[in-house]
Amino acid sequence: MLEIKNLRVKLADEDKLILNGVSLEVPKGQVHAIMGPNGSGKSTLAYVLAGREGYEVIDGEVLWNGEDLLAMEPDERAAKGVFLAFQYPMEIPGVATLTFLRTAFNAVRRKRGQKELTTPEFLKRVREEATSLGIADEILKRPVNVGFSGGEKKRMEILQMAVLEPSLCVLDETDSGLDIDAVRVVSAGVTKLRSKDRAMLVITHYQRLLNYIVPDKVHVMAGGTIRKTGGKELALELEKTGYAEFKSKALESA
Amino acid sequence: MTVALTRTKVEQALSHDFEAVAAKLPGGRAVTEARKAAIGTFAALGLPHRRIEQWKWTDLRSALKEPLSPAVGGAAKTSAPDIDAALEDLAALDAYRMVFVDGQHVPELSTVAAAKGLEIASLAAALAKSGDHAGDGLIAASAIGQEAVIALNTAFMTDGAVIRIGKAVRLDKPLLLVFARTATEGRLVTTRNILELGDGAHATVIEAHVALRGAAPGQANTLSDVSVGDGAHLTHTKCTVAGEAASHLATWLATLGKAATYHAFQLTASTGLARNNLFVTFKGEGAKLDISGAFLGRGAEHIDTTLVVDHAVPGCESRELFKGVLADKAHGVFQGKVIVRPDAQKSDGKQMAQVLMLSQDAEFDSKPELEIHADDVVCGHGSTAAEIDEDLLFYMRSRGIPTAEARALLIESFIVEAIDKVGDERVRAALAGIATRRLATLSASQP
Ligand SMILES: Nc1ncnc2c1ncn2[C@@H]1O[C@H](COP(=O)(O)OP(=O)(O)O)[C@@H](O)[C@H]1O
Ligand SMILES: [Mg+2]
Repeated sequence: MLEIKNLRVKLADEDKLILNGVSLEVPKGQVHAIMGPNGSGKSTLAYVLAGREGYEVIDGEVLWNGEDLLAMEPDERAAKGVFLAFQYPMEIPGVATLTFLRTAFNAVRRKRGQKELTTPEFLKRVREEATSLGIADEILKRPVNVGFSGGEKKRMEILQMAVLEPSLCVLDETDSGLDIDAVRVVSAGVTKLRSKDRAMLVITHYQRLLNYIVPDKVHVMAGGTIRKTGGKELALELEKTGYAEFKSKALESA
Repeated sequence: MTVALTRTKVEQALSHDFEAVAAKLPGGRAVTEARKAAIGTFAALGLPHRRIEQWKWTDLRSALKEPLSPAVGGAAKTSAPDIDAALEDLAALDAYRMVFVDGQHVPELSTVAAAKGLEIASLAAALAKSGDHAGDGLIAASAIGQEAVIALNTAFMTDGAVIRIGKAVRLDKPLLLVFARTATEGRLVTTRNILELGDGAHATVIEAHVALRGAAPGQANTLSDVSVGDGAHLTHTKCTVAGEAASHLATWLATLGKAATYHAFQLTASTGLARNNLFVTFKGEGAKLDISGAFLGRGAEHIDTTLVVDHAVPGCESRELFKGVLADKAHGVFQGKVIVRPDAQKSDGKQMAQVLMLSQDAEFDSKPELEIHADDVVCGHGSTAAEIDEDLLFYMRSRGIPTAEARALLIESFIVEAIDKVGDERVRAALAGIATRRLATLSASQP
């Protein structure tokens, strides 16, 4: 279970508070969605869960299976099952996608005490996952995300997720910039990974993704806090009313 | 106005040592005269120092403090396995081999085959045969400018490779020239190579400047005088891993004929002080130059690449890409000058130098220069110095890759773009192996 308790986060080298007391729990086996207007702190929450530098936690805690996630280095978190699908995946010139996948795969397997796969076994794994995500073989030989379209980058994030077998998946706007066909493919990839051993946190600005990845709960985030929590129908409500209500309140509290 | 300069200990020793060894240096009367003239030039110039523009970041006068005695004859006994160990990944290369130990050709360690249209000799032998005539371009390089380092090379050169490849002859295997330094007490080793490709000839030549295990500190002054004939194709690679206690002064002088291709690459790593001087002149239209390099510095290593590309005739293309990784207090220097002469219309020159700084204490000085006297040309240059991208590092770590491994991968991915420029696939793989081994220690160094 992921437990976020009263998390308050500011920028490390600026006096700017971004998360102002976020609390939520995602039990294993569940998918929770976080929705909210731009600038409400969704990506910051995702980054803090993954361990990005540049933020300072001034209060609260994050437990993953009872362990203090915030005390761990990013690669340790990955070994413990944390995976963040980036809103803006990074380009790594000079590192072939397959090499990158292989290096990451071996690293987490080693740390988890699992055996590494032989090259043919590994390639078979990756190719199967890639095929179901509609990723061409040729792309795997190219440097990570370099020259990829927006859609290809997002698919690649899901491919990495599938290969690394995380138990806590955080998806940051995986649907943004995708056409509806790509949203379907990506959602199918995510849905395939739903299991009783996995917790998922799906961050999105739009409701449409949640037609395909049906969440157990929906949280609305605005002004750095969770403003409302409900079932999947909350997403549909928001689709009609928009975030106006939360935006004004966010301003008041600011 | 002449300024009376006080000569440093090293400068005095060089002039003095020349008198002592001159009689033992190979060559007939004409060569001896050229050597004397050269040491005279050197005596007037002294070692290059920071007040000379092209040497402002590599002050040999203050860097070379201890006089070293010139190596003349009597190479220490060396075994093939010792050479192979020093060559690292290059040892396995299927190539003809010519080995020089402390500046002396060692035929027993060399495997050069004779072929039709191919003339391969040691410079010492060629000079000895030259008699009263300098002839055959053996000392033509001494004519180049007022360069103290070149003058010293002319004065002291003991040996090297003389390779003449006839018209339309293709060398069936790469030719590996090995310059090894041994444990013999600190030496000044001076070598010169002549590489001549006739019209339409093809060859791959690799120079490996290495130190044998336990080699004493020393200095190498090496010069390669290269001419690539019309339509000829030369892939010329230099791998310098001379040792932390070594200085390496290298000069390449190349002229390219009509529609010639010169594909050059230099890897410099694990070398205390390196100055790589490259002068390339286009002599015929439609020639192509691709000259690249990678340099890896750590500790207090100093690696300088200074090149001058002279578009003396129209319609030629030059490409330069140099990439460096600097750790600890390493100092990298890149000076690249592209000259386009008034008649050299349709010249196309691009130059780039990029450095990855792994430490706050590392230093990189760069001076790309364009000197363009024609109007219808495409020329560009650039230079960057960057640190490891923290965002990329985080992205990789978030996938479970430990910091050290992620850094190593990012450093390797940075340098691979340059290594990929090595003209021959097998040589490229060998150089990648040699570089990767160094990168492991570089990436482990403290930021
Ligand atoms: N590294 C940063 N530097 C400056 N401002 C930041 C940084 N990270 C986040 N912010 C600010 O924090 C707020 C929340 O940003 P973000 O978490 O990206 O929101 P969301 O993902 O919901 O759009 C925004 O006002 C954003 O500008
Ligand atoms: Mg965001």
